[in-house]
Amino acid sequence: MRWGKYILGALIAAVLVHFAAIIAVPRVLMHVAIERFGAAGVNTWHVADRVTAASRQIVRPAPDFAYSVCVYDLSAGPVVITAVPWEQYWSLSLYGENTDNFFVIDDRDAHSGAQITLVKRGAAHPEGASMVVESPSTHGIALIRRLAPTASTYDAAKQVAADDVCASATQTGN
Amino acid sequence: MLRRIFAWIAAIIAGAVLGLGSAWAVLKFGGQSFTEDYGRWEFSRAAGSTAAGPYTRAIIARGGLLALSAREAVYFSLYTDEHNRPLSESCIYTLAGRPLDARWWSVTLYADDNFLAQNNDNAYSIDATRIGNDAPWTARISPVRGDAANWLSSREARRGFVIMLRVYNPQRDFRPSEQTLPVLTTVSCAGDTP
Repeated sequence: MRWGKYILGALIAAVLVHFAAIIAVPRVLMHVAIERFGAAGVNTWHVADRVTAASRQIVRPAPDFAYSVCVYDLSAGPVVITAVPWEQYWSLSLYGENTDNFFVIDDRDAHSGAQITLVKRGAAHPEGASMVVESPSTHGIALIRRLAPTASTYDAAKQVAADDVCASATQTGN
Repeated sequence: MLRRIFAWIAAIIAGAVLGLGSAWAVLKFGGQSFTEDYGRWEFSRAAGSTAAGPYTRAIIARGGLLALSAREAVYFSLYTDEHNRPLSESCIYTLAGRPLDARWWSVTLYADDNFLAQNNDNAYSIDATRIGNDAPWTARISPVRGDAANWLSSREARRGFVIMLRVYNPQRDFRPSEQTLPVLTTVSCAGDTP
């Protein structure tokens, strides 16, 4: 009984640390991804090199896609994100800091490309914005996948991706 | 008094170690508790979902960060052969598939570290744009191509590699099953007695 309170304390600490670790893991991994992709700047698209064995930023990259990544930061207000259409499958997906894929739109929904205005959940929606999406977190990742399984289709997708927009709404005038 | 303080510190440290160890064990070995199995394929419909629980979210973040939600794509992972042995570079396998009720699919081989195998064979994946989605198909999984028409290179993938099936824009009537998903068969392994 003398050791009972210490054993109980250890068990309580174990439970608390266990759940804290489980909840922290996706956020830490997402934070690492945000730091890596955002190193060259936030609220701007980065067209990733064609996926090869040297691609080691994110686990299980798909070599059949041309990826564009934008780390968004809503601390200074809404961000406008556009995706230019592509001849094969493409999608624009958004991920919050907890890794949730809270929004996705693809070429079935948006034949002529997508344009969204991203705001922090609960913030005012900009006037005149056609499609407003609320992000559960201030920071996150926007990802465009364009199906491009060959070197030539990847090159073509990379050219198309140059016209995508990820920028603060104040910069784009929206 | 000092002894009591040390005892509490020791208890909290022991608890923290136990908590971290159990969390690591869940992430390392608990994946199967949060997946559905179709034959040897493992599937988690919760990938990328906003409805995923904390355990599912943590497990998926380790092996599939930035996955799409099930409405857009579903992911299946194969870790073992028909004898329940980890997939190995020292074996030759065939993968036989049928058309899937989906717009596009791909099969990709990842080394034991969840990245593409460190080889320059440019045979990381096969997909519906190259193989088609209107007839049965077979592919060879091996370190060298040989005469295979469809090939996934396992060179430098080591022991414990993963085969991942991506199914994009699954149709409403897409029902994964042992019969509809590709079937892996071991042809031979180095060291097997003939």
